Amino acid sequence: MTRMMTAIGALLIAGTAQAQDGDVLLAMSWDEIVETARGGEVNVFMWGGADTINAYVSDHIGGILADEYDITLNRVPLADTAEAVNIVLGEVEAGAGMDAGAVDMIWINGENFRTMKQGDLVWCGYVDKLPNASLVDFENPAIANDFGVPVEGCEVPWSRVQFAFAHDTARTPEPPRSIPELLDWIEANPGRFTYPAPPDFTGAAFVRHVFTHAAGGADALVGPFDQEKFDAVAADTWEILNGIEPHLWREGVTYPTSITQLQQMFANQEVDLFFTYDPAEIGTAVENGIFPETAMSYGLSDGTLANTNYMAIPVNAANKAAAMVTQNLLLSGEAQLEKAQPEIWGAAAVIEPSRASAEVQEGFATLERHPSVVPVEELGQAALPELTPDWTRAIEDGWIRNVGN
Amino acid sequence: MAGSATSAIEVIGRGHPWLSLAPALCVIAVLFGGGLVLGLAGSLGMGRGGVSLDAWIAVLSEGRVWRSLGLSLWIAFASTALACLIGLGAALLLRRRFPGQGLARLLFQINLTIPHAVGALGILWLLSQSGFVSRLSAGAGLIDGPAGFPALTQDRFAIGIIAHYVWKEVPFIGLILLANMQSLGDDPESAARSLGASPFAAMRLVLLPLLMPALIRAGAIVFAFSFGAWEVPVLLGQSAPVALPVLAWQRFTDPDLATRPEAMAIAMLIALVAALLIRVAMVRR
Repeated sequence: MTRMMTAIGALLIAGTAQAQDGDVLLAMSWDEIVETARGGEVNVFMWGGADTINAYVSDHIGGILADEYDITLNRVPLADTAEAVNIVLGEVEAGAGMDAGAVDMIWINGENFRTMKQGDLVWCGYVDKLPNASLVDFENPAIANDFGVPVEGCEVPWSRVQFAFAHDTARTPEPPRSIPELLDWIEANPGRFTYPAPPDFTGAAFVRHVFTHAAGGADALVGPFDQEKFDAVAADTWEILNGIEPHLWREGVTYPTSITQLQQMFANQEVDLFFTYDPAEIGTAVENGIFPETAMSYGLSDGTLANTNYMAIPVNAANKAAAMVTQNLLLSGEAQLEKAQPEIWGAAAVIEPSRASAEVQEGFATLERHPSVVPVEELGQAALPELTPDWTRAIEDGWIRNVGN
Repeated sequence: MAGSATSAIEVIGRGHPWLSLAPALCVIAVLFGGGLVLGLAGSLGMGRGGVSLDAWIAVLSEGRVWRSLGLSLWIAFASTALACLIGLGAALLLRRRFPGQGLARLLFQINLTIPHAVGALGILWLLSQSGFVSRLSAGAGLIDGPAGFPALTQDRFAIGIIAHYVWKEVPFIGLILLANMQSLGDDPESAARSLGASPFAAMRLVLLPLLMPALIRAGAIVFAFSFGAWEVPVLLGQSAPVALPVLAWQRFTDPDLATRPEAMAIAMLIALVAALLIRVAMVRR
């Protein structure tokens, strides 16, 4: 309800704002764009489930925007990114609100980005305008492709994340360090493992790890969706997952419905293993006292999925200039370094530090990490590319039909 | 003061009833009716070219939807029945005069102000396998660990969800019945007693029939809420089947835009089933 009120509030505000035509902005110089943005505001819709992330965006980024550009940043928290996509879709479908939409920027990736791109809901072709875009290596396929969908100037990268597991060294000193080991471990430790049921984002990512394992490695799944290949691998995957079901928490009769619930269960010692798509979260949870100091994150020897997340501007955004200024700021070496500090957020940068100032390079070189968080370099040695949305969707639907019913 | 208020009411009352009701009806028609019409249009795929029944056919031919409907009906019927029964009993006890009656009534009503989501979290902390009761049991040596405690949340029979609704709705039912009994007064029962009826017979044959209309109306509100609400089953429900409103929300937040009409169709189904059942309950009285 609060969320809805905020969204409606933002809608009303946006309705009165000066509409900005995207094409006019694209013809401007960067300085002119900054001048257009000055004194305005930007409505940023993003998943709001982590206090550290919320504070970084509202206070740090919002503070700089207010001080240097006189731009007001309104952060609208979401439980699910699709909610923001729904708002944009509703506005565009209604035909009203072109260049007067309520949403100026969305934290996004994967299927939601594909949906927006396919539906022409996202503004494209402006990324070259941002001066700090030169810090990003757009040649890197992990940045040029969002879950296999070419980015093509329709969104700006923000952070890199890689899936990691976590255990409590005091309780489980020898955790399983690959998917086959995990499957054996589950059988040997009945009731001590479970995963959130897809469509939960993290739970679906866990299922993709098992799927990749069943396929014999990520190389077998590169490229466009292949129904025949899917059917063969899926049959094995469901057999594995149904096979471990009797050894899961509650004998697999039910699954947690969200990653938050699994986090609580790990904290309450109901299960012995946790996993997350953002290993920095483990450090935050230890700092907050939710996890014990002996909690430790780790990667898998057969690799864990990695992805890049982005900021996109809807095609009907009312404050495109301010959104561009915000995105440029998010990409700056200083903002990326701040975001990488373990006590701020601990998110991996998307820029090439070597392209940034000497100070920023120095900062990245001496970056400390939380003792509970696995080093990015260690995780990155075995990083698996994310599957395209066609694959992820088929896996999710298949799990719900064959395993989770 | 009183005079002017009366005259204002008289002025409004002098017009045709429809005219007097117009402002209230407009609000209902625009906000509530408008939402229903848009939802129905969305379920028919309008707004993205053409009208089709595809979403309805897909939804009604899906086993998962029927299992979810079954679960939601179970939650709503069980919650309503228990809340009505306990609410009625509590109201009958609380209408008597006894020392500390005011305090008892206050305690009875106090959770009316607590939001559902907060109550659901409270149930989770209290009844889950790592909750308060479980920890007490472990401390007393009754169970070895969380898994030894019976599954009362995220469980197959939706015990946690029903427990929350009963906890939350008993005071609501009780309050309505108490108000109703106050306006009925003691006269009907006293008359029955003076004609020789036992206290129990007077209650069963005189008071209960008089309370029935209010009980059914209050029960209908509880039923509609527990059938259509999302926040409690999403916090306390198991992963499959999910309650119908949770299924609608999952479809609505699915990145695949093609599932939006299905989400709307499920939402319409919720409204339709609730309206039909409540209509039947009202008519059969």
